[in-house]
Amino acid sequence: MGVLPKRKPPEEAEIPTASMADIAFLLIIFFMVTTVFARDKGLKMLLPEKQSETVKIKSKKIIDISINDAGQIFFNDTPVQNQMELKQKIEEEIKKDPKKIVLIKTNVEAPYNRMIEVLDIVKQLKVKAVALKSIRPEG
Amino acid sequence: MARRKQRRKEGKVAIPTASMSDIAFLLLIFFMVSTTFRKEVGLKVILPEARATEKLTRTRDISHVYIGKDGKISVDDKIVSPDILKIAYARKVEEKPELIVSIKADKNVKYDYIDKVIEALREAKALRVVFATNYKK
Repeated sequence: MGVLPKRKPPEEAEIPTASMADIAFLLIIFFMVTTVFARDKGLKMLLPEKQSETVKIKSKKIIDISINDAGQIFFNDTPVQNQMELKQKIEEEIKKDPKKIVLIKTNVEAPYNRMIEVLDIVKQLKVKAVALKSIRPEG
Repeated sequence: MARRKQRRKEGKVAIPTASMSDIAFLLLIFFMVSTTFRKEVGLKVILPEARATEKLTRTRDISHVYIGKDGKISVDDKIVSPDILKIAYARKVEEKPELIVSIKADKNVKYDYIDKVIEALREAKALRVVFATNYKK
């Protein structure tokens, strides 16, 4: 009782930092592996503004492509068999006059896929402008 | 000759690893900050395929409109009608004029629904639109 055991001088407490880099890299690798890259991609379009007056374009300047309710594609009112044919026809028109505008008229009953197919072809060629329009049976 | 050998022994070459954790954490924080999280779940759609598909770089300005196979329109995980879509986007464009709207529509949906959405977006002055597609092989 009389003699208390002498206390040792307290050891300095230290956080071991040597493995910190390992921990951090492990976290990085974990996030890299678990990340799914969902990059947005698609076909860009700039919609026209709603205006009171409509811009009139001569029909000569327009390449008219329409899609009917069954998904059949028409180029200037003549049916087109496949996409290659459509591409060639548009290309010819563009070569004749690069200022031509493509108008895609889609029937409201047609599948979206068809309209994208046509838009894809138009986008692949260097067309000055593309216009979208819908055909409603009741007018 | 003998002397030279000794010198080599003294200067032990070591890569300084003390700052390695700082580097690693810096990388970690950089990736955390630069990541954008997908906010909504959306609808299950099969996107159409196109060869002219372009990547979008400005991920932060993109807002998604999902159009399901049955014609349901989903914005921020809420099923909306074209009229409500118009009101919602008019507000969004006001907050962020550089907004890009990505239309994620199922490839088998009728064009009618797409047309209604486009028309609503035009009225809301959300003019920068992207038709979401996948790459065609």
